[in-house]
Amino acid sequence: MSPGSFSGGICLSISDANANKPFERIIPSGVVTIPLRQDLGGICNAKVKKGDEVKVGQVIGESTGPEGASIHATVSGKVADVIKAYPHFSGGFVPAVLIESDGKDEWVGLEGSADPMAAIQQAGIIDFDIKPVPLMAKLNEAKSRRANALIVNAMDIEPVLSSRSRLLSERVQEVACGIDTIKNIIGAASVYVAVDKGASQAMSAVGSACGGAATVVGLTPKYPQAVDLLLVKSILGKEVPCTEAYCVADIGALVLSVETVAAVGRAMADKKPVVDRFITITGANGTGAKNVQVRIGTPIKEVLGHCGISVEGMGKVIAGGPMMGTAIGNTETPVTKEVMGIFVQHEKEIAKYDSAVCIKCGLCVETCPVGLMPFIISGFSEKGMYAKAQANDIFTCIECGCCAYVCPVKIPMVHWIKFGKAQIMAQRSSE
Amino acid sequence: MKAPEFVVSATPHIHSGNSVRKMMLNVIIALIPAIAAGVYFYGMGAVRVVVVSVISAVAWEAILQKMMGRKVTINDLTAVVSGLLFAAILPPTLPWWMIVIATLIMILLGKEIYGGLGCNPFNGVLVAYVALKISYPEAMITWTPPAGDIMTELPPLQVLKDEGVGVIWEYFTLKDLIIGRVTGTVGEGSKILLLIGGLFLLLRRNFSWHIPASFLTGIVILSGILWMANAEKYASPLFHLLTGGSLLAAFFLATDSTTSPVTLGGKLLSGLLAGMLAVVIRAWSQWEDGAYFAVFMASTLTPLLDYIKPRVYGRVKASASS
Repeated sequence: MSPGSFSGGICLSISDANANKPFERIIPSGVVTIPLRQDLGGICNAKVKKGDEVKVGQVIGESTGPEGASIHATVSGKVADVIKAYPHFSGGFVPAVLIESDGKDEWVGLEGSADPMAAIQQAGIIDFDIKPVPLMAKLNEAKSRRANALIVNAMDIEPVLSSRSRLLSERVQEVACGIDTIKNIIGAASVYVAVDKGASQAMSAVGSACGGAATVVGLTPKYPQAVDLLLVKSILGKEVPCTEAYCVADIGALVLSVETVAAVGRAMADKKPVVDRFITITGANGTGAKNVQVRIGTPIKEVLGHCGISVEGMGKVIAGGPMMGTAIGNTETPVTKEVMGIFVQHEKEIAKYDSAVCIKCGLCVETCPVGLMPFIISGFSEKGMYAKAQANDIFTCIECGCCAYVCPVKIPMVHWIKFGKAQIMAQRSSE
Repeated sequence: MKAPEFVVSATPHIHSGNSVRKMMLNVIIALIPAIAAGVYFYGMGAVRVVVVSVISAVAWEAILQKMMGRKVTINDLTAVVSGLLFAAILPPTLPWWMIVIATLIMILLGKEIYGGLGCNPFNGVLVAYVALKISYPEAMITWTPPAGDIMTELPPLQVLKDEGVGVIWEYFTLKDLIIGRVTGTVGEGSKILLLIGGLFLLLRRNFSWHIPASFLTGIVILSGILWMANAEKYASPLFHLLTGGSLLAAFFLATDSTTSPVTLGGKLLSGLLAGMLAVVIRAWSQWEDGAYFAVFMASTLTPLLDYIKPRVYGRVKASASS
């Protein structure tokens, strides 16, 4: 099969030169802060109280529903505090558990269960992607819609990140085990592993580890190829019908990030829950990129310190990549399951977007990977004309940021589109 | 809660560095060689036209923006580009006061009165051109012939109009048409330099290929049909491409971002219409060259052509089977 590409998108100027460094392990020494909501599921119930002794892998937040993901202690030691309202980096407040590490790193494994679904639920796995949906929810959705194609996404969402491709090459056995498990759960007829075109080593490694059960697909690493909507189009040649809340399972596909699949493999083989994230840390100006395996709850400050990145003179710290990541206010914020990477910008590097008059050059239309007219949607949102914004398919927007990136007058189009979506949602819920 | 230590803002956090100023700088670089060729062939008259046009355009922009209480934006170089482009489509003999009046029309009626860059429905350069062409038709066809040994002092399209298709290839050699050693406006002569400039802009992504390609295709299609129907009466597509404002209009005027359609379909249709209209005007109107008029008229269709939208990913209403 020949994987297709998509029209639009951009080749980012920030290079990938530092990519593919081996993962360095970071185990926090002081206090870790573990928020009790780290995905799009509900807030977990605290299972510990101040003063309790905990071990690594012990459940400290239990998911409320059957489709949630539990949260585990990531260091051994004593619960220093349970806070009711800890500021979450994407806004709002959630409860959080503070654990003071005793430095012993003592583990408790999962109880172990023959049923893979139960094992996944215990392990607290979510899909480590832009939309951090608990894996249980994704699996149930895929089963109910009879998804028969499993796509393992080993392409990094943004070119500055390299953790996924690295994870695939370092932990190919875990990935193979995870693929096997998930394939059996949903009864997938075909399995695809999407990698960057040219990653021939990874291709052959996956091929041999999975024993021909998976097809490795090399795709041109053009941003935003790794977004699931475009991935299924390139691999399966089908488009997901975009209603307001689109669902890739509608066309019979389940797209999971390679980190998710590896976590499933770890839960099955090693009986270990999710306590680490595998992320790429990038310093100012795209330099000093490192891949780290970091415990959830580690303050970002400590992670940056480990990577030798000073925050002196830095203007922006971004959870994720420069195109779709969330800027965070301060570096006490812990690494959570939602964090895709950390990208630091110097004060001078900050891109300044400003409200400006569109000159209708059409670059945003040309570059939009999902065929929208971003300047029109953004303009209608800015003027509060939400019905018109909806008529121009505002909800199909994947917020990849290509439009604003190429805009010669620097209109913050993604800002206005996100704002418009939020306003439409708010209007609806008040009705 | 502590105040944030760092800047928090919406995505994306980086920018390509593209700006109006950069795009305008590209246009200036692309246009200078063609204008230099004009100066070489027509002498100091051309220099005078360029200088008066650019300086007055920038001055009018600054004065008008000050008067209207807007931010003065001469730094984005749009006024410089307008002045240069305007000079490129004027005859090298035009009196200075006509240029100054025309640049006022260009900046005021072509731009500022609508709210500045991005809000204008017509390309200011063409508004000013049309105003001069209608107000001072004689001055607009008073030429300086290029120095050296030439067969006629009239521009090629004028010869075509006055003396018919039979004599054109006797009067003009292919080489002269390509390098621009013919009578004409300041910047439209040197086809080879305009082509290089246009390709440079294409390479720098100032515009996509759709408008120039469809504009030139429009010229070739209609002039080709006419030529094949009656080669005694109508000139060949090659002659139409290499004379008058065909290339200048295709690469520099029809591609004006604000007044051309934004979507690919709209761009193709707009270019095609303008190209065919240019041939219609050349063949059957009182004007010898229709390229600039055609672009001007095609821009009136832009709001309509913008209804041609790209195919949205996964649109449920439209053919879901694809």
